[in-house]
Parts: sequence; structure tokens; C-alpha cells
Amino acid sequence: MTPFRAMRRGYEARFEPVERVVLAKVARDVSAMLREEAGLDLFSDGGEPGPSSHHAPGKGQAWANGLLAPDELTDADLARLTGVTGVGRIPTDPAARRLLPDASKDDTDIADEFRRLTQNDVAQAKVDRLEAFAALLDLPSGDDAPSTVGRHGAPPPVRVPREDAEQFAGALTDVRLVIAERLGLKTDDQVMHLTDEIMWDRQAGREIPVATDGRAARRFWSGVFVAAGYAQETLMDVMLAELRGKRPLA
Amino acid sequence: MTSSPLPLLTPLGSAGTAVEEDTEEALASAVADPWVTIVWNDPVNLMSYVTYVFESYFGYPRAKAEQLMTQVHKNGRAVVSSGGRERMEVDVQAMHGFGLWATLQESGARGAA
Repeated sequence: MTPFRAMRRGYEARFEPVERVVLAKVARDVSAMLREEAGLDLFSDGGEPGPSSHHAPGKGQAWANGLLAPDELTDADLARLTGVTGVGRIPTDPAARRLLPDASKDDTDIADEFRRLTQNDVAQAKVDRLEAFAALLDLPSGDDAPSTVGRHGAPPPVRVPREDAEQFAGALTDVRLVIAERLGLKTDDQVMHLTDEIMWDRQAGREIPVATDGRAARRFWSGVFVAAGYAQETLMDVMLAELRGKRPLA
Repeated sequence: MTSSPLPLLTPLGSAGTAVEEDTEEALASAVADPWVTIVWNDPVNLMSYVTYVFESYFGYPRAKAEQLMTQVHKNGRAVVSSGGRERMEVDVQAMHGFGLWATLQESGARGAA
């Protein structure tokens, strides 16, 4: 992977094919996990409003003229009936909780209300940008695809259009947050040590092992975490430079 | 927060950026605004990314954005905006969108410090 550079048509970096494939795969995995954990599919079936899914005999009987008793309505039902966003499901996976955190540390009323107001929108936006991120990294494939080899024999660069760059950086953040949670990285020191270790291995020319056991898997995901961080850091360098170039220094 | 993964990249905020404003003072000075948005430190987000978010989303000048980023990094948190509750909900939602952990609370609330 090379650093991102500001080019006329966007920010460009060269990724190894394996880096593109792995980052696209993990982004889609994070997207699927988030979709499931946040219950987004409860909102997107586009089908029958509420009642159809509550036909258990003896319970959820029609309350009046086919209406459900108020306590039979889920947030998803309400969302479908009213068009108001809400909470499909409260995430339990710690990684999903990190992407959709509580908006208060000690006031559950504030946290619950905030989640009800925003979770669906935040989760959907993350899912969308993770999918876009993966699509941008996908290598051309199929018979009519252009050659994966560029003019000088190198693979074509990853090109992030300026208008998509914030979304791309945000997807990198979500991927890194989830990997860090899975690796149990809790402190700045742990992350720094891990980064040093990976960079040392890389400088020493040690290959990232194929994940065949727990230790190799940990090493593999650590490498993905550091690579995603490198992509994000170098992208931030060029984005910050351009952002600051647009207005006078304070 | 962590800095760049490569030693060849210049670490940010190493020029002795002073943490002038403590969270408590920021809270006290924000009494005119009933609610505040607080961003909490985490080990994953890059200093440059957090600074970028503060500059691009809030429109803060570089010096203020870097000061707030340093405050988050060193003190574990910083008040990044203040205003009415609905406005703070918008800011917190945006921070979560960016992948930062943010909370809102009443500026004079007990336990705010």
C-alpha cells in the first residue's frame, strides 16, 4: 500500500490486490453484522405493515377492528406505520455497540430516547458507506472487465473521488473499530504496541501468515487493522491539507 | 486515540500544544447553553481523523480543533459543542456517524465533571 496522494480526479493510493480483497471482505462483513445487530431488515422488507407478524393465537388478538393492542406494537411496527425512524433491535454485540454507542453514560432515559430517534439512520448510513467502500475496492472482474494491469504493469490505483472521501474515511473507521473490539484492544498503549509489532515485522520482511490457527488469525487481523490505519492516516493528511487550504489559518 | 501507524509520518500535536481549557471549565463557561456534547477518547481513532472531524464538521479553526483533540487524548474527553438539547442531539448523531463516541448532557448536570 502506498500513501494516498491528492490527484486531479480524487485521492489515489496503490493497494496490493490482497489488501483490496481483504478490506472489501471485512467491510461487507461489518455491514452485515451491523444490519443484523441493528435490526435494519425489520424496516426494509417494504411489505405489510405491523399486524401480519403477530398472529399468535390467544396472544396479540385483534384489539379493536384489527388493531393490535398498543403493547403488541414493536418499534419496527411503529416505524412502518408512521414512517418515523426508530430502533429495530438494540445491539448486543460489543462491536456493534461501539458503532452505535449510548449517548449518555449514566442517564438511560437520554440514551434510550436518542437511540430511538437516531439508531436506524446512523446504522443505515454506516451500512451504505461500508458497501460503497467495498465496491470501490473491488477488483474489476468478468470477461468485459478492463485489465487489472495498468499502463506500467502495475495494478490500477484505488481512486477515491473527493466527494466520497469522508464516507471512505468513515468506513475505514468503522472497520478499524470492529477489528479492535474483536482483538480486545482497549488502550492507546495496546494499539501502539501492536502497530509497532506489525511495522517491525513488515520492515523485517516477514509475511503475514495465512490464518490457520488462533495465533495466526490474530496476527492476520492485526495486519489488516494496521493497514487500514495507514490508509486512513495518509488519506487524512491530504484531506486536512486541502481543507485548510480552503480557508485562512486561524 | 492513536497517532499515525508509521514512524515516518509526523506525529501530530507534538509541538507542545497546551491544554488550556479543562473540561470542567468548559462546562462552567457553557452555562448559557443548557446542553453540551462531549467526545470521549478511544484507542482506535487517529488524532488526525479526530482533528479533521472537528475542523470539517464544526468548522473550528485548526488551533481550536487540535486543542480539543489533545484534550480528548490527554484528559479522556472534551466538550466540543454546547447549545439546546435538540442541537446537541444533532451533533452527537453526527459524531457517531463519524465513528467518535460522543454523549450529551445538561451542562450543569451533576457528574458532568
